[in-house]
Parts: sequence; C-alpha cells; structure tokens
Amino acid sequence: MKNKYRLSHSEIAIKARSIRKKIIEMNAHAGAGHTGTDLSEVDILATLYFHILNVDSERPDDPDRDRFILSKGHGAGGYYCTLAEAGFIEEELLQTYLQADSKLPGHPVRQKTAGVELNTGALGHGLPVAFGLALAAKKQNKSWKSYVLLGDGELGEGSNWEAAMAASHYKLDNLTAIIDRNTLQLADRTEKIMGLEPLADKWKAFGFEVHHADGNDPQSLLECFASLEVGNNRPKLIIARTTKGKGISFIEDKAAWHHRIPVGNEVFAAIKELE
Amino acid sequence: MKAGLRETMVEVMTEEAEKGKNLVVMVSDSTSTSKIQPFQEKFPEKLVNVGIAEQNLIGAAAGMALGGMIPITANAAPFLIGRSNEQVKNDICYSNTNVKLVGLNPGFAYGPLGPTHHCIDDISIMRGFGNITIFAPQDPREVRALFHYLLSHEGPAYIRLDSLSCENLPGTSEIFKPGALTFHRGGRGDDSDLAIICLGTASHAGLAAAERLAAEGINAAVVGISSIRPIDRGALSAVMASCGRVLTVEEHSAHGGIGSLAAEVIAENGLSAILRRLAVPEGQFAPASPVPAIRKGYQLDSEGIVAATHAFLRETRKDD
Repeated sequence: MKNKYRLSHSEIAIKARSIRKKIIEMNAHAGAGHTGTDLSEVDILATLYFHILNVDSERPDDPDRDRFILSKGHGAGGYYCTLAEAGFIEEELLQTYLQADSKLPGHPVRQKTAGVELNTGALGHGLPVAFGLALAAKKQNKSWKSYVLLGDGELGEGSNWEAAMAASHYKLDNLTAIIDRNTLQLADRTEKIMGLEPLADKWKAFGFEVHHADGNDPQSLLECFASLEVGNNRPKLIIARTTKGKGISFIEDKAAWHHRIPVGNEVFAAIKELE
Repeated sequence: MKAGLRETMVEVMTEEAEKGKNLVVMVSDSTSTSKIQPFQEKFPEKLVNVGIAEQNLIGAAAGMALGGMIPITANAAPFLIGRSNEQVKNDICYSNTNVKLVGLNPGFAYGPLGPTHHCIDDISIMRGFGNITIFAPQDPREVRALFHYLLSHEGPAYIRLDSLSCENLPGTSEIFKPGALTFHRGGRGDDSDLAIICLGTASHAGLAAAERLAAEGINAAVVGISSIRPIDRGALSAVMASCGRVLTVEEHSAHGGIGSLAAEVIAENGLSAILRRLAVPEGQFAPASPVPAIRKGYQLDSEGIVAATHAFLRETRKDD
C-alpha cells in the first residue's frame, strides 16, 4: 500500500491552506474548539496525509496501512479537517463538529470517525500505543510503520518516557514520533511551566535517532522524513518547530488561543489572511 | 486434585499458541508472578516484558491489539488497576481494544506486604468503566474454560485471578457461559434458609461453611459469581427472592463489589430479601497481616461465614 497523493511540498502547502480555512470555519460554526492547537499541527498532518502515510481513504481499515495516532487529542479540529481534505470523512460532517452525538466529538474516537486509530485526549497515551503497534508489526513481520504526533506540553507525562525507553530497547526503527514543538501549553510557555530543554539530548539519551524540522514548512518536513535512516534499529524522533496558531497573524503564538475560537470580524479577518 | 489457577492459565495460553492463535503475553517484570516460564520457554517470541512500567504495559497492549494480535497482560492486580488506571480506561475500555487484562493476586493475597499490595477495589473500579467484561474464575476448571472462551471472543476483558492452588468446585463447567451464575449447592427455587453468594474463589470458603451449617440443620444455598459483567440479573433476583436472606462474601471492599451488586438488584427489583455483606468495610484498608489472619478478621474464612450466618439467622428469625 502506498500514499496515493505523494504531493510536492508546494502542493502540500496549498492543502494546508485549505485545511486552515476549514478549521476557522468549523470552529467558528461550532462555537468551540482548540484553534491555536489545530493550526499549529496543520502542516505536519498535511505532509503526513498527502505524502508520507501509506493509508487509503477508500480502505481505512486495510491491515497493511501505516498507523497514525494523534496523541495531542485536543488537536481534533485540525485532525478532522485534514481527514476531510484527504477524503476519509465527508466535508459536510465538519458542520456537525461538537454537536450532540456527533461523529466528530471534541477528542478523536475510533468507533466514530474513519481513519482514527485510537481514542485520545488524555495526554501521554499515544507513544505507548504507537510503541505497541510498531512492536506488533515486528512480531508479525509486517512492513507498515507507526507514527505518532505528540504535543510538547504532554511530554510532562511520564508514560512517554516509559515508552521511549521500551521503543529503544526493542529496536523499533519502524516507529516515528513527531513533536509539535510550539513551546506553548495551556497555562503558559512550556519552559516556564516545566522545562523540556535540552529536548533533543533527552531523546538521544533514550536511544532515539533525532531530527529537526520546521514543522510549518512542508519542504522542511519532507526533507526530514526523507533523511530518516532505514534499518538501523533505532526509533525516530522529529522535533518539528512550529508556531501555535500558525497562519493567522492575530492568533499566532498566543497562549490564550489554545482553546479560543474566532468570533465576528475575527472570522472574516482570518479567512482573508488565508486567501 | 489441586491445581494452581495461574499455572492453568499458562497451560491454556500454551495450548492456544500451539493451535496458532496470534496471542502475545505481556508482563511488567512479572514473569514469576504470572508463572509464565513454561510458555516463555516454548514461545520466547510471544512474551513481551516492558520492565516495571505499567502505564506503558497497558498502552503497548492496546497497540499490539490494534496491530492485529491478542495481547494478554499479566501483572499484579494492584498496579494494573492503580498505576495504569487511565490507560485501562482509555486505551483498553474506551478504545474497545481486544486486550485481556489479568490482575494477579487480588484481594489481600499479598497479606503482610500491606495495603500498597492489596487490591480490594478492582471490581469496583472496573464496574465503573464502559465496554469491558469482568470475570473472577473460581477454580482450575473454570480458569481453563474462561481462557479458551476469551481467546476466541473479540473484546476487552478484565480477569481477577487468584494466586491459590485449589480443587474444582461442584458447580463449575467445562464450557464457560458468560453471565451465568454457578450453583454449587441449592439455590434453584428450593427452600433454603439463606443464599451465600460468593465472588470468585471465595466460593470455596462459602461451600465449606454451607457443609458445616448443613450438619447443624441449616440449609444454605451457595452461588458463585465468576462473571460479574455480563451477569444474569434475572437469575440473581430469583435466588435472592426465594431465599429471602442473602449473605455476600468477597475479598474486596464492600463498596462496588458483589455486595453492592446484590444490593442494587434487590432494590431495583423490589425484592423481599435482607442483605448482609462480608467484605472489607467501605472506607477501610485491610491490615498488613498474614492472609488467614485478615480473612479471619473480616469473617471471610469458613468459620467466619458460619458465625456470620448464625448471627444473621438470629437477627432475622422467620417465625417471629
């Protein structure tokens, strides 16, 4: 199974712009959401779904598909808009985001939404599960890979470090973790709440092959994915530097927009910046 | 003939793996606790040890299940239920992954090691979670039947598995029927003086007590509960209504276990039955003592059940 799009970086950037527009419209319509979080991850998700992940919206349960887990489950809005852009769910469904018994609840639910692999939202769950998925592939001699997108704030959860230790111990070079390093968490800057740096050194010490990318630039992300070493028995980590709220000037890099939504003229101003 | 419950579980895993079942046993350093060595020697590649890291154990098991395998986790019940509680809730229950969680040595099996190692809240906690089925097998025959059943049925399950070695009980079956009550002695509409309803292996003490009571002319029905969810509430209602007096016995807190379950069924069905619960009273930790001493303290051994029955019958004389 291959990714059916394999888009170039400039084509991915166009998709990302379309996803951002969907996020603004969807969150404004729902009257709730995590706008800053959603916008932060868009370019990473667009690069994954339109080039990297060997998944197919026509066969979302194909046993040979790559597995992707959004560990930062509060980024559900950005995830749903990407799944819609990639054909996993219908565009009209975005109008039901956060409504009663919607197929698009506030955090991803695998029983509800095509393409979602795990129910997330509670933090620190994605990497242990991705570790299990990668180990299952090795145990069964399967070639699919497992990917997980982590928030930087959620690295405060110790379960991540348990899984990191184990992924390295079991030599899982079929596991790629990506950190959405926007340096903001709910309350304030990550470095003020609970310092993460030197982040790369920590993961290296845990046995990971560590890479850096501009997480809001599909070209940088594609180059980074292409540089991952094959068959070296080491799990991969990409520290993707991002800007929370990326793409909308008045939302960018503001902790208050972690779970704010655009209202009134903000909606028009945001859409205008994307056109 | 006596057999260990854990050893029996491992035998079934080995048989199923030999038949080609795509299972994987996952432990958190608990290779000795789970008695897994015979399986490990035959199928080293089907044993995953994640080290002392229960959160990762459970998350990883969910991942293995999503990757198409049948993971069975086996570690000490207090840490499975306590340390990885949110992983159990979200990764196993809410995500509805095909993981079989085995909680080893529950209740106060660790005796003098104390309340950090006692697990008297597992049934209560697991009953609070959605999706998952909950079992507490009573004897080696039922362990065998249960694990064969679990490995051929999709869906998350919690199994409370005692450390003991014991004989088979009269009422258990070679075929596991989820939801069914186990009728060890009476209880099917006969005129018993009371029903002793036991959780899992507490049925052994319950039955021994009933035999002593019978010698005194007291007719006690003994019913085992090994399938807590699902459970046949209709059958449970019928037993309790016909006996009129109900004594529940469990190595668990009185809150949220089968004592609570019996109370719910009595109240919801408007049954005319009086309930007494033998358990660790709500709000208490059990003392750090040898297991027989703790059981004696809460009247959970056969002598205690006999004494509690005498008191119960005195307080509720039917001919008054």
